[in-house]
Amino acid sequence: MLKITYFGHTSFRLDSKDMSVLLNPGIWDGKPVVPDDCDVRVIVATNHFDDAIGNATAIASKSKAWILGNEQTIEKAKSQGGKPWLLHILRPEEVYQIPGLKLVPYSLQRADPKSGEKSQNLGLYLEMSGMKVAYLGDTVVRGAFGKIEADVMIVPVGDGEVFAVKDAVSLCIDAKPRIGIPIRWTAPEQSAKFRKYLEQFASGTVAILMEPKQVLEIQWAAGNEFRYKVS
Amino acid sequence: MSERKNVIIDLEESEKNRFGELSEIESAEATGVMTVKNVSAQARIWNVRVNLGDSRSGTTIKDSTLSAGEVEAGGEWSTKYGITIDGPILTLTETYDTCSSITAESPHWAYVHGKENPVRITLHLKNETDGQIDNIIVNKTIPPELTKVKVDSAKSGMAKFDEGTRQVVWKDFVIYPKEESTLTLSGLAHVDDVSEKNAGEVVISYKSQGQQRSCLDPDMTALTEFLSGIETAETEPNHWECTLECSNETDLIVRLDKAVVFLTPEGGGEKKKMVEVAPRVEMKPGETWRSSFEVDSKAPPKCTPDVVYTPVRVVKRRVLGTATKVPQILPVCQITYAKSFDPSEVSSLDKTPVEVTIDIKNSGSARLDQIEVEDSLPDDVMPPKKEHVTVSVAGKEYTGTYGVTITPDDQNPETPHKVRIKISGMRDSMGELKPGDSLKVSYAIMAWRNRPEKEYPSPIHCWAYTHPAGFAAEAVSTPFAHKLGVVYRKRRIAAKKAISKGSKAGEYVITLVVENKGEVTVENVKLVDWIPSGFTYVSTDPREDEPKRNPAKDGTDMVWTWARMNPSDKKSLRIVVKGEGEYQRREPEVASD
Repeated sequence: MLKITYFGHTSFRLDSKDMSVLLNPGIWDGKPVVPDDCDVRVIVATNHFDDAIGNATAIASKSKAWILGNEQTIEKAKSQGGKPWLLHILRPEEVYQIPGLKLVPYSLQRADPKSGEKSQNLGLYLEMSGMKVAYLGDTVVRGAFGKIEADVMIVPVGDGEVFAVKDAVSLCIDAKPRIGIPIRWTAPEQSAKFRKYLEQFASGTVAILMEPKQVLEIQWAAGNEFRYKVS
Repeated sequence: MSERKNVIIDLEESEKNRFGELSEIESAEATGVMTVKNVSAQARIWNVRVNLGDSRSGTTIKDSTLSAGEVEAGGEWSTKYGITIDGPILTLTETYDTCSSITAESPHWAYVHGKENPVRITLHLKNETDGQIDNIIVNKTIPPELTKVKVDSAKSGMAKFDEGTRQVVWKDFVIYPKEESTLTLSGLAHVDDVSEKNAGEVVISYKSQGQQRSCLDPDMTALTEFLSGIETAETEPNHWECTLECSNETDLIVRLDKAVVFLTPEGGGEKKKMVEVAPRVEMKPGETWRSSFEVDSKAPPKCTPDVVYTPVRVVKRRVLGTATKVPQILPVCQITYAKSFDPSEVSSLDKTPVEVTIDIKNSGSARLDQIEVEDSLPDDVMPPKKEHVTVSVAGKEYTGTYGVTITPDDQNPETPHKVRIKISGMRDSMGELKPGDSLKVSYAIMAWRNRPEKEYPSPIHCWAYTHPAGFAAEAVSTPFAHKLGVVYRKRRIAAKKAISKGSKAGEYVITLVVENKGEVTVENVKLVDWIPSGFTYVSTDPREDEPKRNPAKDGTDMVWTWARMNPSDKKSLRIVVKGEGEYQRREPEVASD
């Protein structure tokens, strides 16, 4: 079973029996979304901006967790005092694998929150506990994710800095995940439209709008029946 | 003097009725005039009293006896009174059906704007009494929007339409007790605006002899020129025959009701009644009546007669009636619609959810019970599922039932679809759609890789009905209306190539860069680069992008395919080949959908 805990914005924690991964523990409006004492083994930031890397260094220093990210992200972690032996650079489409986790980063792009210019950003494909999770973070492009087979696809929904709703829906229609989770939306109608359009046009995909602190549990019942529960 | 003349008590009662729009009785009033007519050519009558007894209830007459005083020969005395009635003696039901060609449980009551409305007017009269009604004249005003007016049938009498006055006059018939009669007219109505129309008034007049609306049962007493006297004749000594003789000196019939003769005894004392009879005989003009008795008396007997008589009266009754039916107000059924896409245009070759909103406004003056919409969706559009089509009225979700059919019943974006929504029975759910109100149909479609050179019209057809349903008010677009805009986004995909010497002898490094420099996502990107004969493929960086290698005429083709490249997406490939000789350059070929 894989437990997916939502902290808000773009921050998630993935827990399996023997692995825990924290995704984008960002700082938004000066406040960290994830507490510093979050005990995890791996932290992945998809880019170097504060809304992605956030307080990853502080969390990692307490929990002795790895911080994974692209070069800019790791440089930033270093500048924040991250322990070099806990930092790992992810290169696009280079598989990172440790017991309980297989992670493939893909090169995507996001918009710089200040300048609006395109900036490097990673999309993540994670395999944990037999479940495949695609996480697109803050991207404005879909890259390879349109053809990735995923059980859960976590996609940004919004306008400007990230995917427009239509692009998030279009991606889910093409990739056909079992579950689509919208993140980073700035207006409730964006997530509502995402769910509405998935229900109507993405056959086989369920949209789940997660609230902070909600946990999504997914598992293969009897080995071949996909089940999910939101608590 | 042979003509029988009776004083006439004439009861002429008039009723005035008003029927409402739907032929319901709005008011019924009656008044009467009671007239005592002295038909005599020569004799006056006086001390005339009309006795009504208890029959005046339901009228405004307060006294049971009315004093008419003196009425000269040929003269009249009359009095007016009011009568309380529940309804008329002749009832009218008008049915104005604006769509006679469609059978329904009740008549259609609204015109449809812009159409030929086949109108049928039925006027139905019923005699509610046990007496005959005649002198019936019915005037029906025909509204100006009605053309080709004709009388279809008249159960009795004659009916004719006068084009000049725009009146149908139906007359020359009687209706027997409890019987009915019907007139049916037809025509075609065409209305060019939506203001409420006047269906035309109906005015009726009629007469019923021998009937009355009040319960008055008048009788009369009066005096007139009637001679009476005692003749005393001695038939034997001191034996007298006394004869009371009455003579009708008028040209009227006079009834002698009572005759009494008192004899005053010779020696005085109380008078003795010698004759007391109630002959109740009607005496013709000049006729004489006598009654005698004998009495012994030394002196001529002193007799005093007392005679009660009255001119004979007859009562004549009639009811004169008029009725007006208020014109039925006919609203006009019309709808307009507005259809919009949000966004109004989509990027070419992309997938974009589009909100479709169809706003149907009741722009007429009739309340609507049923609305149907058929929206035609072009190909390259994924239609909605039935359950995602929503209907709202005044911003609130419509809670009544409505049906949605999608033809064909699938979500295949490669074929056109028709989405049909039928909202019926509104009056039994949330109430009919009032004039000025709007009903909104909403759903989402998915624009599916629309091509910039193609047009995507999405015409619409709307129908609206009143209850019961007749002809529909329609709002139709042209077949090429409501095009989903497709914004052309330039496709620009570039492939660059560089050849450089490798680190080992005979090795070459081929660098290929494929970049989507266009404004639109491209799919099924295919890159083909050629390896000359004499050289073989060694490796690719990144390894995941290892090409397929197909034998070619003079070497080998390396083939890469990528499902999708977004704008600004870039693929950089570093291929190592090995062989002998000079590495000949050919430009890579890139293609996409």
